Amino acid sequence: MKLTTEDKLSILAGSAKYDVSCSSSGSENNYKTGELGCAHNSGICHSFTSDGRCISLLKILLSNVCVYDCAYCINRVSNDIVRTAFGPRELADLTINFYKRNYIEGLFLSSGIIKNEDHTMHLLLQTLRILRHEYRFNGYIHVKLIPGASKELIEEATLLAHRVSSNIELPSSKSLALLAPDKTKEKLLSPLKYARDISLQRSAKPISMSTQMIIGATGESDFEILKLSASLYQKALLKRVYYSAYIAVNNHKHLPVPELSKPPLLREHRLYQADWLLRFYGFSYDEILSENQNLDIQFDPKTFWALSNMHLFPIDVNHAPKEILVRIPGIGIRGALKILQARRFKQLNFEDLLTLKISLKKARYFIVAGKDFYRATSLYTEKIKLALIHQGSNIIQPSLFDMSIYTGEL
Amino acid sequence: MILLYDGSFEGFLSLVYEVYYEKLHVNAIVKKMPETLLFERFHEVFTDEAKARKVLEGIAKHFSKEQQRTICNIFLCDTKAHEMTLLEYIRIGFKNPKELRNITNPSLFYIQNLEKELLSLVHKMYGFTRFEELEDGTLYAKIETKFNIVPFLGDHFCKRLGNIPFIIHDIKRSLAFVKNDDLREIRSIASFDTPTYSEEESHFKALWKSFFKAAAIQSRYNPKLQQSWVPLLYRTYMSEFEV
Repeated sequence: MKLTTEDKLSILAGSAKYDVSCSSSGSENNYKTGELGCAHNSGICHSFTSDGRCISLLKILLSNVCVYDCAYCINRVSNDIVRTAFGPRELADLTINFYKRNYIEGLFLSSGIIKNEDHTMHLLLQTLRILRHEYRFNGYIHVKLIPGASKELIEEATLLAHRVSSNIELPSSKSLALLAPDKTKEKLLSPLKYARDISLQRSAKPISMSTQMIIGATGESDFEILKLSASLYQKALLKRVYYSAYIAVNNHKHLPVPELSKPPLLREHRLYQADWLLRFYGFSYDEILSENQNLDIQFDPKTFWALSNMHLFPIDVNHAPKEILVRIPGIGIRGALKILQARRFKQLNFEDLLTLKISLKKARYFIVAGKDFYRATSLYTEKIKLALIHQGSNIIQPSLFDMSIYTGEL
Repeated sequence: MILLYDGSFEGFLSLVYEVYYEKLHVNAIVKKMPETLLFERFHEVFTDEAKARKVLEGIAKHFSKEQQRTICNIFLCDTKAHEMTLLEYIRIGFKNPKELRNITNPSLFYIQNLEKELLSLVHKMYGFTRFEELEDGTLYAKIETKFNIVPFLGDHFCKRLGNIPFIIHDIKRSLAFVKNDDLREIRSIASFDTPTYSEEESHFKALWKSFFKAAAIQSRYNPKLQQSWVPLLYRTYMSEFEV
């Protein structure tokens, strides 16, 4: 059967969509006169699919042929699906034509394993070389490092791409052994280790790296997951860890039954909130959770933390430093910055905070502002819990990307 | 007193000059003569280059680079009646520049938010603008936006489209940013014929649509979230949302 470009695009984009990362941020403006493409520091979303996720990059597999047999993956060798592949030039041309029309910010290239790891990495690099050297394309490129590919190839990838990544797939070695017999944690992390060491040797800005793990397919607790993320941020110098709620695509004896399982979206959401606390709010993983605990479903992680640490409250918004302000439930980085700017001019009360469009729905239980504090509820964990639950719908609002009104990315 | 001016930036600067030097007491600033005038004195400001320049020099002296940019940006928010707040902003800046950072002052907070709204619109349109390729290889984009963001888009795409000529056409304001070789300018467009597209154009549009469809995960279907990111208003010229 001969497939048209359109068929191939549908198949290979359909297989790549389970990769969560779509960020195109964090790169310097690399504009060169007369050349095509330029990265944008805050990243740009070009569209949003019907599931509400952003399209920033042409996220695609070079091929969905794969020699591995990972239980959770749609492309595993034992699945009976249509297999196809793009040629490197074909894909480079498609990227350029999409870019010109401003459909995309760049390319996110991944692939199933064709023949072996080195051969696959070669094909990916071939595509990147055409884009960078022949078409002088400077737009954003994110490329998957193939675990098991040789060091030289990984090094070349770090030179050609803006971001490289390798998915650790599952939160523990035990789960990996169970579901992905061809992979081990060491093997999956090895390309990131190479890339880290290479970029540490260079004087220029380090290459940005990310990874992803599936949530809910196996039994790890949120504590284990956050601990792993924290160490990836600190030791492996990753820029992002993505969490993907497990979506059943295969039947397997060690996996939840597809018909009965819904992706655990709220758990995924809570993990992202906790991840934000790690990266931007100065929390450590063991402040957020204790051993073997899961994140609370009813309260967001910051509120949950505050409720368990009432001795630190109330916080005086007129005097607390920035690091403390951002720990108040309901007040984010933007709110804290507004408070810092405004309080240089006057002592702030509740009304002032409202005029500055800072929501007090949650925050009011935890703060004093001048003479104001929330008299209706006294400062006891149980009282505040009840009051918050009473507000009902405001608690579980998936304002998934409240960090940035511009991009949903940082 | 109600002041009338022609809506141009120079016109506005001339207005500022007259307010200062003739000590006018301003109640409202309008671009068009109101139909009924009751008990209100009325004064028409004529755009005067010398006056405008004088005010501009004053602004350059008293305001930081960032604040000067704010003034220009607010002026691009042309569907909001921004003149009175902008006049207030300039007044405060001449009197006490430090005060400009005081967001507990309602006019200044309003200005800060309006500028944020403009910049967030600009950012959205960096992503949502769609080019179509014409017969001669020129890329052509149509936009309809709340504020005038043509200058921002022009700069942005000059950086990324290399040597490809392009046109960004603001349909409602009848403006266009035109880039061709060394030419870069904003023109007013009186009339515009429907252009002929290149042969490949419909092919790539179809590819883009099938990519867009394939990238969605069915079991996470959430059109409400999608609409909060891309409100219907932005979808007019985005081919992936055509039915």
